[in-house]
Amino acid sequence: MNAGFEKRLSVVLLALSAITLSQLGVGSLEGHAALRPNATITSSAIVIALIKVRIILREFMEVRHAPVLLCRLTDSWVVLAGVGLLGSYFVGMAIARG
Amino acid sequence: MTNAANTQPRPRFVPGQPDMWAFVLFEALVFTAYFVVYVVRRTQSPELFLESQAHLDLRVGVFHTLVLLASSWSVARCVQAARERSFRTALTNAFLTLLLGFVFLVSKVLEWAAKIEEGFGFTSDEFFSFYYFLTAIHFLHLLIGFGVLAICVHQLWSPARRSQETIETCATYWHTIDFLWVLIFALLYVMR
Repeated sequence: MNAGFEKRLSVVLLALSAITLSQLGVGSLEGHAALRPNATITSSAIVIALIKVRIILREFMEVRHAPVLLCRLTDSWVVLAGVGLLGSYFVGMAIARG
Repeated sequence: MTNAANTQPRPRFVPGQPDMWAFVLFEALVFTAYFVVYVVRRTQSPELFLESQAHLDLRVGVFHTLVLLASSWSVARCVQAARERSFRTALTNAFLTLLLGFVFLVSKVLEWAAKIEEGFGFTSDEFFSFYYFLTAIHFLHLLIGFGVLAICVHQLWSPARRSQETIETCATYWHTIDFLWVLIFALLYVMR
């Protein structure tokens, strides 16, 4: 198998795994801190997840070699998901606070 | 001497059938709608969701994510090997993907069983309703994914059948299972 491509896939897997493992740090929040809403953790979790999704799309799913239309469509969905999730979180929190 | 063909930029191509990409984008939009409803409901009773979420083990969520990421990696290697006509390597990677998918499946069933044993069922509270709904609908996609991978193995098995487009289409579906899980993991296990 093409050594360059194989190396690239492995580097991508290692990067995605390292990002995922770093999220174990959230589990170190204990007691009261774990039971309080935290906008920083939530927005970081959503942004990190979307970055991982985009890496999967571009590297594993080979969107980086795809026609521009497919690149734009997948990027548009990533942006839409980000706006939808972050927007609904912050607007929802504001409404809940009254 | 440099081969002229190697210096030319590689032409852009759609991996697999365009119909599968239309399906992937449709599925991504449908799941985004589920996720937005979940986030909105969560913001209306954050304490309840956080209390219930505390009963999930973040390490299990991380393990599931690592397994699916590895399966995406192996199916990407399968596609590349098939493209280079290394069908033995492609088949090995397709079987590795199946194995990793099976590890995810067993681990997810064990997690559900543990939660039900602890008394957290579908109707326990709103968080667990979302937890079972999102993980079950993802699980259904995983089961379909096994059928899709079986088609991939069937294609690779015989020289008479090997269609690169079909193998790429199967891989595209499998990657979709992976990236949807990445979002489910963030929303159910990590967000606060």
